[in-house]
Parts: sequence; C-alpha cells; structure tokens
Amino acid sequence: MARTDSVKEAEGIMAIPGATDNIDSATFEQILEMDDDEEEREFSKSIVYDFFGQAESTFQKMNKELCIYTHTQREATADTHHSENKDLKTLSELGHFLKGSSATLGLTKVKDSCEKIQHYGQKKDETGTKDLADDDEALGKLKVTIKEAQEEFVTVEKVLRKFYHDEG
Amino acid sequence: MSSGTRPLVPSAPPLLSPSHADFPTPRTREDGGSDALVNDIFSHTPIPTIILDPSLVIRLVSDSYLKVSGGFRRESVVGLHADAFFDHKLTLPSLDQARKALHCAIETKRPFDVEDSQANSAIIWKIRAVPILERTTESNGSQSVQYIQMELTDVTEEHLRQLELEERLATNETFRILVETVKDYAIFMLDPRGNVATWNEGAQRFKGYQREEIVGRHFSNFYSQEDRDNGKPERELLDALRDGRVEDEGWRYRKDGTRFWANVIITPVYRERILIGFSKVTRDLTERKKAEEKLIAAYEEASRLKSEFLANVSHEIRTPMHGMLSALTLLLDTRLNPEQHELAKVIEESGDVLLQVINDILDYSKLSSGSFSISHDIISVSDIILSVFRGYEKGHNPDVVLEHDLDPRLPKAAEGDSLRYRQIVQNLLSNATKFTEQGYIRIKATLQEEDDQSCVIMTEVFDSGIGVPLALSSFLFTPFTQFDNSATKRYKGTGLGLSICKSLAGLMGGNIGFRPNPDSQGSVFWFTAKLKKVRHLKHIESLQEQFRKHNLNSTVSTFEEIKSAATDKRVLLAEDNPINQKIMQKILASLGFSDIDKANDGREAVDMSTKTLCPYDVILMDINMPFLDGVAATKAIRAAGLRTPIIAMTANALKGQAESYIAKGMTGYIAKPVDRHQLAKILLKCFRVDEVAQVAPG
Repeated sequence: MARTDSVKEAEGIMAIPGATDNIDSATFEQILEMDDDEEEREFSKSIVYDFFGQAESTFQKMNKELCIYTHTQREATADTHHSENKDLKTLSELGHFLKGSSATLGLTKVKDSCEKIQHYGQKKDETGTKDLADDDEALGKLKVTIKEAQEEFVTVEKVLRKFYHDEG
Repeated sequence: MSSGTRPLVPSAPPLLSPSHADFPTPRTREDGGSDALVNDIFSHTPIPTIILDPSLVIRLVSDSYLKVSGGFRRESVVGLHADAFFDHKLTLPSLDQARKALHCAIETKRPFDVEDSQANSAIIWKIRAVPILERTTESNGSQSVQYIQMELTDVTEEHLRQLELEERLATNETFRILVETVKDYAIFMLDPRGNVATWNEGAQRFKGYQREEIVGRHFSNFYSQEDRDNGKPERELLDALRDGRVEDEGWRYRKDGTRFWANVIITPVYRERILIGFSKVTRDLTERKKAEEKLIAAYEEASRLKSEFLANVSHEIRTPMHGMLSALTLLLDTRLNPEQHELAKVIEESGDVLLQVINDILDYSKLSSGSFSISHDIISVSDIILSVFRGYEKGHNPDVVLEHDLDPRLPKAAEGDSLRYRQIVQNLLSNATKFTEQGYIRIKATLQEEDDQSCVIMTEVFDSGIGVPLALSSFLFTPFTQFDNSATKRYKGTGLGLSICKSLAGLMGGNIGFRPNPDSQGSVFWFTAKLKKVRHLKHIESLQEQFRKHNLNSTVSTFEEIKSAATDKRVLLAEDNPINQKIMQKILASLGFSDIDKANDGREAVDMSTKTLCPYDVILMDINMPFLDGVAATKAIRAAGLRTPIIAMTANALKGQAESYIAKGMTGYIAKPVDRHQLAKILLKCFRVDEVAQVAPG
C-alpha cells in the first residue's frame, strides 16, 4: 500500500469535525493500512467497534467502582481504609487497560485522560510524580476525569462512526 | 654518779660533774700510749665527734666538732655536762635532739640516729649516739654503758635528695591515679608479648572486664574472631614496633560479646632502650560512627533524590519537547513565507539543542548515580564510525574537509555497546565541527592491542579548529565546563558532553584524553575501548559478509527482509488488552509471521514459553499485565533457562527504561503504540543476533 494513499485515508478521517483534537493521524493511519479492502475496512472497523465495546464496559466498571467507593466512604470507619485503597487501585488498573487500547488507536484525548485516571488511582498527581494528599483528593479528581474521559470518548466515537458511515 | 645517770630530766639543774676531777677514767689511763692515740684519733677525725661518760660529762671533743659548733676552745668544752653544753654554750645540736639521742642510746644500748635541723640553719645534721659498752658482762647478762660517742653528720644533701625522690614519687603517684581514674579512655599497658599488664577505670567501663579478670590475658581478646584469625592483633604490635606507633579504627568486643567502634593507638614503651611493653589507648567512637553513618546515609539519600529529580524533570521536559519538535516538523512542511520559515527553523534548532541538553543531563544523572549499564551487543566499530561520519558528511561546512582513516585490522564483530560507542564518536565529531571553521576533521580508528580475549581500539578525532589552551586541557572532562566561557554564546552546549564521554569510555574499560594537534593548530581528542572478542569470529565474519553482500546485491527493504525471515518463525505475543492483541497480530501477520500464539497475561506467557515442545523464536512482552507483569515473566522465563529473545512493549517510554528492561533479561524494547517499521527492525536485529549465537557454538 502506497504511503500517499494512507495519508489520504488519514486525511479522510481528519477532515471530519472534531477529529484533529481527538485522533493522532499517524497512529490511526497505521491501523487503516492494515485493511485489506479500502472500501470495506473490515479489519479497522472491527477493531474500532471492539474498542467502543471495551470502552463502554470499562467506563461502566469505573462508575461501579466509584459508586461502591462513595458508598463505603459514606459509612467509612477507620478500619475500612484498606478496602478503599483497593478500589482506587482497581480504578487505576482500569485506566491503564483502556489507555493501552486507546493509545494503539491513536485516540489521544481518551488516552491522556486514562493515563490521568491511572495516576489518580495510585493517589499520584496527573503526571504521576507527586503524591496526592489523601483518598478524598484522588477520588474528587477521579470523578472529574472519568466524566471527562467519557465525554471525550463520546466525541471521538461520533467521529469514528461518521468515518465508517454509521451514523444511525 | 647515780645522780649523773639521770641528767636528762629536763628540770635537773645543769651541773658540772664532780667526776671532772677524776678524769681521765681508770680505763683510759691504763695505757698512756693508747690514750694519746685515742686522743689523737678523736681530735683529728673529720667527723664531728664528742665522747661523753655515762654521767654525760664531755670527755673528748674533736677539732671538727669544735669547728662546726661555733669555734669553742677545747678547754671550755671538755668537762662540761652535756645539758650545760648543748643548752648554753652551743647551738649545735639542739638540746632536745641531743638529749633524745643520748637517752635512747643509753636505754637501748644501741646506736641511735636522729636528724636535727635548726630554724636558723639550712644545714641538716644527723646526730648519731653510739653507746660503748663495758667489756665484762654482769651476772644478769646486761652490759652497762661506759662511754657514749656522739657524731654529727651533715645530711643536708642526702636530705634534699630524699625530698626530691619523694616529690618524684608523689608525681608518679599522681600520674598513676590520673590514668587509673580516667573514665573516657581505656588506657593500659601490655607486656612485650601483648598480655594486659595494667587496667584503668575507662578500660573497665569500655570493655566490661574487672582488673583481676583481664590482667595477664592477651589483648587479642578484644578483637573479633575474624581479626584474630587474620592475625591482626599480632600484626599491630609488629607495626607499632616498626613505625613507633600504630593507630586503628574498628570494632572491638566487650566481655559480654557486644561491640563498640574504637579508635586504638598502640605505642611501644622502652626503658633504657629495652622494650618493656606497649601502651594502648582506646577511645569509644560508637557515637561518632553513628553520626558519620547518618551523615553518609543522608548524603546518599540526597544524592539519590537529586538524580531522581533530575531524571524525572528531564523526562517530564522531554515529553512535551518531543511533541513540540514533531509539531514543528509538520509546521515546516506547510506553506510558510520565508520569514516564518526562518523563525520556525530557529525554533527547531533551539529545540534540538534543548533536547540534547536534557538528554545529557539525564545521562549524566544516571552515570553519576551509578545506575548506568553498558549493553553487550555484537558491534562493528568501523560500521559505527562510518555511520556517524556519513551523518556529518551531509550538512557539513564546505570549508572543512571530512576524512576517515580506519585500520583494516579492526574487528568486524566484537562485544560492545553500539549506542554508547556511537554516542562518544558523535560527541567528539560534533565538538570538532563546532570548533572548526576551516581546514579538516579526520576520524581515525586503530587496533591498539589485542589478545585472545579482547582487543583495545583507539579512536581519534583530529581537527584544525581553535584548539584548547594546554593549561585548561585538564578541565576538559570536568562536568559543566566549557573551556572558554565567552565561547558559550557562540558554541552551545551544557559542557556535559565530554564528562559523559569520559564516564562512558570508563564503562567500556577504556580511557579518554586530549592532546594538541601536532600537524597544525587544533585538537586531537581520543578514546579507547576494550571490547571482548566474539568467539568463533570466522563464522560471524562470514555471516556478516553474507549480510553485507545481501545488502549490497539487492536493495532489500526492511519489510522484505523481515518477511523472508518470518516464514519459519514462531512468535509468542503476551498482551492483556484484546484490542492491542488483535492489532499486534495484524501487524505481525503483515510482516510475514503466520505462527503466532497469544498469552493474555504474564503467567500464561511463562507457561506457554516454558512448556511448549517447539520453542518460540521471539516473545513480544507487554510490561503491564495482570497476575504477573512483563518484567517478572521475563525473569521467570530466563530462570527456566530459555534464551529466546524477549521484546518489551510499553507506553512508559522513558529513555533509560529501555536499558533497565534489557538489564532485567529482555533483549529489546519497543514503545507503544507499536510502529510497524520499528518493530520490523527490532525483530530483524533479534534474529540476526540469534543466528550469530546459534552459529557460534557450531
């Protein structure tokens, strides 16, 4: 497959409003290159739709963890701290997991937010260098960032669906 | 006469003895010749002497006595009663002492000595009263006193000596008490064989032994078993004898087996040139030692934090820098007017320098914290030098001639770190171009030494640039130095480059240095590296030759090459994210791999790679995986004895992490998202090394 073609392909998706901020063209282009048929785009489409599924289920899990956590925190006594940390760790792992696939697809914004979730879940700041004050601070940031990530996902999902001519 | 026997009663009136008329006594009168002789002897004896009869009347007096007692005439003394004489006529000796002496001599019938010092005289006299007894014994066996001889001796000097002696004894005593009661030092003597001879309070406090328990035992009891086995105590005595003193710091042991950190000084002690033993002074420095350790720990912690901070900061700066620079590259490709293009170029150039600075700091902080390791790839020095050289050929200043001169004896393959070798070459060449505006730059590599195991390669960069003042050349390799501060504006850089190169050359078992260019003005920078030889060199050389021919004959692209290499290869892909799994699988398939197994976590990866009958040719290993992460999985696989190439895949793209993964047993490293072209290159490299390794034992 000639390079000029793939650039055109990437440009194809980059022309869709909202794409430039959310998608890294070079990375996504590499995925498109893997398609055997440029009309069908069977492979990349399956990957992207797999990602939709993965993202939705991951966000669901994140929200569930947040909910459990907020609930336990409301009734928190000193001896429940252990389980609280475990919940934050689960959030960090979920963040890392979704970071991996969003990075592979070049969905930069979602990827960046997932990385933040990963750090906050370890009670670190967004770059992962400094410790956060306590669970509450981490939880506050997690709530905000997970919400942002979901919104970013919805935005990029629209762009991608448009690209695959699936706007119904 | 009976009254005369008690004349010493103080109240008795002085009397002139009635027996004065009877003098000389019948005994002395028996023989006139003997009498004259006695007279003569007594008159002339140099020892002041008087002879009294039992009633204490003076019967004879010597000239010497008359002289010391004040120049009396003999006639006025002889015949006087002692009391009268000592009390009235004489100041010497004083009445009390003379009476005492006479009385005691008569009572005890033995010579009696008493000292007499008078207030108005510095001279001290010894009064000696000697009773002279009758020849015949009485029935009860006692003898009666016939005469009393009284002598005076000047003992002033003797007395002074005595005083001095006492004083000295008192001083010694003071010292002894001082030493014995000092509590803060253990001070004691050893005999010449090293047995404890004395003990003091401090020693007892430090070492816990009572005096009785330790005196006579060998001082090696205070040392550890290890020191004793090494003969350290004996050696210390010998050293003390040889050097006159020995000082040591180390652990010493108390009676209860606990230890303390001691400073010990042993000094041989001689008396009249004969060794009488050793003095041993011990101080307890445990507290100081603790403080020192705390300081060292604090220093190490601070230094570690500094390096960590530098590494973190550099990394944090580098990430956005990369973004900025790639954006700039894109920007430069867009349609810009000349002015914009110029500005963008300036940004790009400064950005490149900044990135270099950050990389330098990162390298430097890692080198200074010692966490830097050299990899052992198979490298060809000529290839590295040529490749760097070509890089400089492209955009070099046309006023400077670039030349290379490579020794044909350079090994085609040797064990070394190609990245780091390249880094030094690049640095030296970049310095040369920076400081040379016209003339030439020549890079020369020669085989300097060679043996069965290794070879030393000398790489030199000659230039005809501005050169380095000899006086400043010793600072060239010190961190953060550029020899001419005024030049920093013209010649950009951190001044870290050469110091990094020095450390790198050191890690490669070599050295680095500078000398002025002998041809003309300019410099020669050189470094050496000791590279281990690859065994079965011939096989590898022929193999490399094949590669070279292969490369020359057809301009095979990486992709074609990997496709042909991939056909019979088995790959294990360890990745927990199904989407990434799918994409990696697709990439691998596009590179020609058809035999791909998947592991969903580290544990599966270990199981699959160690239990399969048909071993994998390469394992692609995600770092963050559930159950067992990539690093732990790699360790387990290596522990099982497998040497399969393992390539780490991670989004944590810290520069130094590549080395750390390699140090943990991985073969290579690729950043996520995985770039297809880069993956192909890394896989090819793995297979090549692998083939070399497989060919080598045959």
